[in-house]
Amino acid sequence: MTRLGAWLFTPMPLARVAVLRLLVFAFVVVDVLGLHTSGWYHGWADPVWYEPLVMGKALHLPAATVLLVQTLKWGCVAAALAAMTGRAPRLLGWTVAVGWVWYQYVAFSYGKVDHDRADFVVALALLPTVGLAHLSDRRRSEAAGFALRAIQLAAVATYFLSAWAKIRFGGWDWVNSATMVRAVVRRGTPVAQWLLEVPWTLHAFQWVLFAAELTAPVIFLLTERWRRRVVAGWFVFHAMTYAAITIAFWPHLVMMLAFLPLERGAAWLRGRWARQRPTRAGQERQEVRA
Amino acid sequence: MRLGAAAKSWRAVVVLGLTVMFCAGSLVGDDHWWPFSPWRMFSTSQAATGSVISTGIEVQTANAPGTWVPAPLTPENTGLNRAEIEGRIPQITADPQRLGTLARSHAELRPGAPEWTALRVVRRQIVVVDRKPTGEVRTSVLAQWEAR
Repeated sequence: MTRLGAWLFTPMPLARVAVLRLLVFAFVVVDVLGLHTSGWYHGWADPVWYEPLVMGKALHLPAATVLLVQTLKWGCVAAALAAMTGRAPRLLGWTVAVGWVWYQYVAFSYGKVDHDRADFVVALALLPTVGLAHLSDRRRSEAAGFALRAIQLAAVATYFLSAWAKIRFGGWDWVNSATMVRAVVRRGTPVAQWLLEVPWTLHAFQWVLFAAELTAPVIFLLTERWRRRVVAGWFVFHAMTYAAITIAFWPHLVMMLAFLPLERGAAWLRGRWARQRPTRAGQERQEVRA
Repeated sequence: MRLGAAAKSWRAVVVLGLTVMFCAGSLVGDDHWWPFSPWRMFSTSQAATGSVISTGIEVQTANAPGTWVPAPLTPENTGLNRAEIEGRIPQITADPQRLGTLARSHAELRPGAPEWTALRVVRRQIVVVDRKPTGEVRTSVLAQWEAR
């Protein structure tokens, strides 16, 4: 029990949380404005198509209107931009969380639920619990470690639970079915068409994917070096999926960054920026002299 | 920087609660449980031999009455996407007048485009034998609406 507690609360640099927050909130802006806009268009759909989810019934959420979707869209953007400043992390962070979740709800309550966006709720809900975190604050904190661990757990759980869903809905025979063929037929890119000509490729890929998903939690038992290799492997998998059927689980990809030493990347960027500025100023001085 | 016992306890309870909800959703839940719904992307089994169904809409416009042309079934165009229509086929065949709301949404979203005067839902069945599309496509009309 104490070992589990120590693992859940392993102190991590506050700067890592600060960088992840920046990425998460920047993603919210991009997502709301460009990546996932079906909720916005539901403002113009007739309420006859509205199909409340459990959450909507419990909270008495109404069908979408143009006013509601505009408020949620621009409210999310404004709150996320404000949250990127790092000020009032709890108030602004949880405002973004509520706005984004509601906006997704509007998107999903018209008959189609996307199955890749729920883990992001964990990141939005728990990142604010860390409180103030500065980009250059290398101190290690248990609160930061907890938030990062919870995000890692949620991200990895999606792999394992999607293997579980394949067993539950597709049956053990899923690995031998033509599900990938169906995906490529319905939305395959030119890059993927040759896969249909060589059907064993997609069949084998189903076995590999299923095995990788089922064993995903092993990532927590690996050494740091191998953990990063596995994360890189998942990024390669998601890039291949995008190339083949233009589906990417964008919010999940942001969550997977919680495994990486983000604060080092940020420090490197800042170092480059700091080195460049004096030289640029120096160049200008030289130009003036010339 | 350490956390006190109370701060740790409620965080542990939150993680436990989330774990229980996500697992319960995956065990017995359905899409309506979102965000705790099962992670079922590409989870259904598709028979190696059978047909892949793809649903779309065709419309007649005020400019060319009597001619059916395929129209993109996208949120930008109708407020709804293909999957959302595919999931409501029983309701649509029971009450084809519902399709009129798509023409109305289209008029609001695309005020510059020619008005839709008729709309029908078309199902294309792409035949697959041994994991390979044969090239055969069967088309059928599921429901139709006309402006009066």
